[in-house]
Amino acid sequence: MKWSRILLLAVVAALAVGAWVLLHPSPEHLIRKQLEGVAHAVSFGPKESYLARLAAAQRLAGFFSTNVEVQINVPGHQENRLAGREEIQQAALSAQASVQALSVTFPDITIIVNADQQSAVADLTLQAQVAGQPDMIVQEMKFTLRKINGNWLIIKVETVRTLS
Amino acid sequence: MLRRVDIRPRMMDLRPSQARHSNSWLRNLAIGRNLKTTLVRAAVLTVGCVVIFTWVLLPVRVDGISMAPNYSNHSINFVNRFSYIRHEPRRGDVVGIRLTSPRGWSAPHIMFLKRIIGLPGETISFVDGHVRVNGRTLDEPYEKWACDWNLAPVALGPEEYFVVGDNRSMPKEDHTFGRAERSRIVGKALL
Repeated sequence: MKWSRILLLAVVAALAVGAWVLLHPSPEHLIRKQLEGVAHAVSFGPKESYLARLAAAQRLAGFFSTNVEVQINVPGHQENRLAGREEIQQAALSAQASVQALSVTFPDITIIVNADQQSAVADLTLQAQVAGQPDMIVQEMKFTLRKINGNWLIIKVETVRTLS
Repeated sequence: MLRRVDIRPRMMDLRPSQARHSNSWLRNLAIGRNLKTTLVRAAVLTVGCVVIFTWVLLPVRVDGISMAPNYSNHSINFVNRFSYIRHEPRRGDVVGIRLTSPRGWSAPHIMFLKRIIGLPGETISFVDGHVRVNGRTLDEPYEKWACDWNLAPVALGPEEYFVVGDNRSMPKEDHTFGRAERSRIVGKALL
């Protein structure tokens, strides 16, 4: 009888903790979800319609702040800089037009939330597979995020040289 | 006189006691003598495998040709995270290098597989395809293909290693190599 009560209490406590975590997700959890959303919005299949791709590009822009800065510097390639949501949307649409399919994932993400709980830095590995290309693209990247109107939005994206 | 004897077992010929013996043998093979002990052993084995292959010996698949011909594309290997507990990485070691900053004991899903050619405090350069460590040519028996790389001297910091792939027949611009901080080295390749 005593043991069954303890077990019941433990189950109730576990449920309460689970409910609390579900209702009050940590900033890390929210940022991770945002980054997963970015990867999903960037990816597209070969059979997706133009409208679906346009909607994905619009959805992608929503993950960024209005004055976002993107700086892509990969050895052996020309440096690319984008500024603002519009340019990101245009870049996504032109990428969709130039390749048949793209699959992007962020398999390793390390998030550091600053003490003010209003800004954070995510260091991550980008893994991309372009249709028709045998080798996948792997690149370390740094995303800076800020909490704007209750949403974690990306304000800066930079490539990182793992081996300097 | 010789008489041929058929030694193949025939179930229909078995007497009840022999059949019982055969059944128990099959049962022992499938679930062991004691089901409870077998379940405990299976659980311990499963937990052990999960722990070892998640945090200690990381199974990896080589993707790309930068380590060819010693590590071919799509070959399977393991990165041992306990290799550098007793000593620091050595020259010639093939190591897994994480791309993201390390945090806790989480194992990375994607790593670079490279060979260490330079140790902390050394100066590394490439002259007509030959590696020079502090000005002296490094003997590299694992190098199978000709290389014509040239690289100005790179001085390594106290926590930095110089890593490069074995396939230096490819253009230098297409090859990822350079300085890696000690904290990025995950472990040594097992095979």
